[in-house]
Amino acid sequence: MDQKVDRRSFLNQLGVTVGAAAASAVPVIGPAEAQTASAPKGKIPDTPLKMGHMTFLTGPAAVLGEPSLKGHILAAEEINAKGGILGKRKIETITADEAAGTDANVKELRRMKLSEKIDMFTGVISSGNTPALGPVAEELGLLTIFVDGCTDFLWDKAVPNPKFTFRITNIQSADGVTCAVAAAQTWPTAKKIAHIHPDYSYGRNAFDHFTLAYKKLVPGAEVVSEGWPKLGTTDFTAHITKAMSANPDIIMSSVWGGDYVAMYKQALRYGMFNKAKFASTIAFGVAPHAIGKDHPEGVIAGVHSNYYFTYPAGNRWPANKTFVEKYHKRWNEYPNFQSDGAYHTLHMYRTAVEKANKLTGGWPDEEAIISQLEGMYFETAAGYLYIRPDNHQGYKDAVTGFSKNVDAYPFQILDPNRMITIPIRNITAPPGWPKPGSGHNDPTSTFNWIKETWPQVA
Amino acid sequence: MGSPATGASTWRLLVVTVIILTALAVLPRFVEIYQTQLLTYGLVFAIAALGFNLLLGYTGLLSFGHSAYFGAGAYAVAFIVRDLGVQSMELCILGGLAATILIAALFGFVCVRHTRIFFGILTLALSQVLWSLAFKFFWVTGGTDGIRVASAKLTLYGGLINFAGPGAFQRFVYAYYYYVLALFAVSTVIMWVIVHSPFGKALQAIRDNEVRARFVGISVQRYRWIAFMISGAFTGLAGILWVPLNGLTTPDILYWPFSGEIVFMSVLGGFRTFTGPIVGAVVFNYLKTYAVASTEYWQLLLGLVLVILVMALPTGIVGTVARMTSKLRGRI
Repeated sequence: MDQKVDRRSFLNQLGVTVGAAAASAVPVIGPAEAQTASAPKGKIPDTPLKMGHMTFLTGPAAVLGEPSLKGHILAAEEINAKGGILGKRKIETITADEAAGTDANVKELRRMKLSEKIDMFTGVISSGNTPALGPVAEELGLLTIFVDGCTDFLWDKAVPNPKFTFRITNIQSADGVTCAVAAAQTWPTAKKIAHIHPDYSYGRNAFDHFTLAYKKLVPGAEVVSEGWPKLGTTDFTAHITKAMSANPDIIMSSVWGGDYVAMYKQALRYGMFNKAKFASTIAFGVAPHAIGKDHPEGVIAGVHSNYYFTYPAGNRWPANKTFVEKYHKRWNEYPNFQSDGAYHTLHMYRTAVEKANKLTGGWPDEEAIISQLEGMYFETAAGYLYIRPDNHQGYKDAVTGFSKNVDAYPFQILDPNRMITIPIRNITAPPGWPKPGSGHNDPTSTFNWIKETWPQVA
Repeated sequence: MGSPATGASTWRLLVVTVIILTALAVLPRFVEIYQTQLLTYGLVFAIAALGFNLLLGYTGLLSFGHSAYFGAGAYAVAFIVRDLGVQSMELCILGGLAATILIAALFGFVCVRHTRIFFGILTLALSQVLWSLAFKFFWVTGGTDGIRVASAKLTLYGGLINFAGPGAFQRFVYAYYYYVLALFAVSTVIMWVIVHSPFGKALQAIRDNEVRARFVGISVQRYRWIAFMISGAFTGLAGILWVPLNGLTTPDILYWPFSGEIVFMSVLGGFRTFTGPIVGAVVFNYLKTYAVASTEYWQLLLGLVLVILVMALPTGIVGTVARMTSKLRGRI
């Protein structure tokens, strides 16, 4: 890998595309979940299907996590309106507050399975929790589709050979890389980077992958400042002033949820956004209405490289249009990427059950449902979603974008005409790439893959 | 507490203890596996609160940093299993206890020089030091990811019972329940002996009147220091036993709110009685688990319970029950 490549041609190779204006007057196509399934085979019990959904219902993380439950409820109501899964089994959901802390969450997951006898578990937002809950779900033999908590660590180390556990939102390493690609493409001369990240696995992961990819794309780039506020903190003064005093070209951050809302409001007071460019992996991951019109325009305001409701605009991707309309009608607000994840988790599960039923008849057992989920290609509001069979991880093309005020919404949005989309396979390790601890000790397999295979652009 | 044990009352105590232990031993036959598991948590916390109360109830020192010893035991086990590849739970207990006693000796040496609020703040500050180490040394402790200790990797009774193969989790829950129950019984007996020994009486004398205790010739600081170490060791044992049950250690158990929970347990049960902290820990465990499960306002619920408790039942559950039974008896 010693050939010289210039940045522009390497970015072209990566397939980085910037969204253009929406087309109009396209025919309305019904999304997948509206298509009616044929009558189920065999005798289906009519006992309700119990599900557990865990997400942040309290605290600063709730503004990002709570839409997950709303997406889940919307899908469950749609399914129940048609008589339930396979027309018979209605969904009953019990919820739990993820803010209770990792240890309490482990207890609660066991309670849901052993005492409440749930059939499926979903939700979970924080990367601090999935590595704890994944092994517990495997231990219990409980079919689990995590909505988020997308740390690479879950499949790299905590559950290296998943059987019962799946995850739907993009893998975390892609998040830092997406942000680095977007920043390198937008501000190719910016070399001095200051960082502000929450001090836990997500922040470290974003820092590691951004820094690695950015240095590959921008020769001579350096980290001039690091700030590590505790997750759930609301006072960022010290970190903002520290980052600013380093005279950076870009301030990069993975602070999320209510933490981010507090941070940007404080940063405005200090004029931070005038002093340097700003790039975030997940600023607009919160429920859209949580971002005020006072938020700076034109910054890279990531959505965890998953989904923003304004893109694709119009009816170019009908699954998005209908999802946003339904969600808005039900909740009188707009969805975030967790809503999309949780909503499609349930419809994906329903589809897997229907497919398995065609093969086995009756209510399919867990093995049959799992075999249908493995390798599934699914249409979501965010685009095509692929569940990789080897690690049970969902992959979709990564997106990020730029903040903009428009009259149509009372809050600031991501500009649908300036979205950046990157094919996921170009920024994340392929199946079978060595995991940390086998042949290398890098933080993730994607980290090692980028280090080994990406060229250093000239 | 502290009333001289007459022959008859010792007998009664023994009978009651045997009845309770028998009931606990046969309980898993009648309840579902989840309840067995939940009770195991309760017994583990009971050992922690028992240790804590040697300081609060018997020595008159309110520690706001007992998360440090719980966490020290837990992290010691995690390091032993991860870095030394040890599988025997007994070795984990020995190693964990050694680590905890070392830290309790060190922290105690500093803390017992002070009493009242100064003691409380010192214990709090020192526990926060451990917390920030576990939190910040990401590459050693895994930061907030913590360290995973899979129950399947451990063996009990020197390798006699292991948890490989199918149905491992169910077998683990039952085997581990009896393991914890046995250690709980042993801990309770040891603590009972300690508080009724001359050493325990000396601690109570220090609690009631430090100046007079010093006049009698008790070396106040040294006694406090020893009590501190014993207290830390019990809480550390709880941390050690908690790890396989929880499956991983995270910095949460070193953070000050967890110290607060240990205080809460003791106050809930009644720190002026020997059995109060035990009852308080088991009840608190149920209370928190079901509060989290039933409402998103669980913090509010726990807060309300604490306020009501302090206002209405200042002697805790056990103290109140004892007062009511003695009143009833008086009426008869």
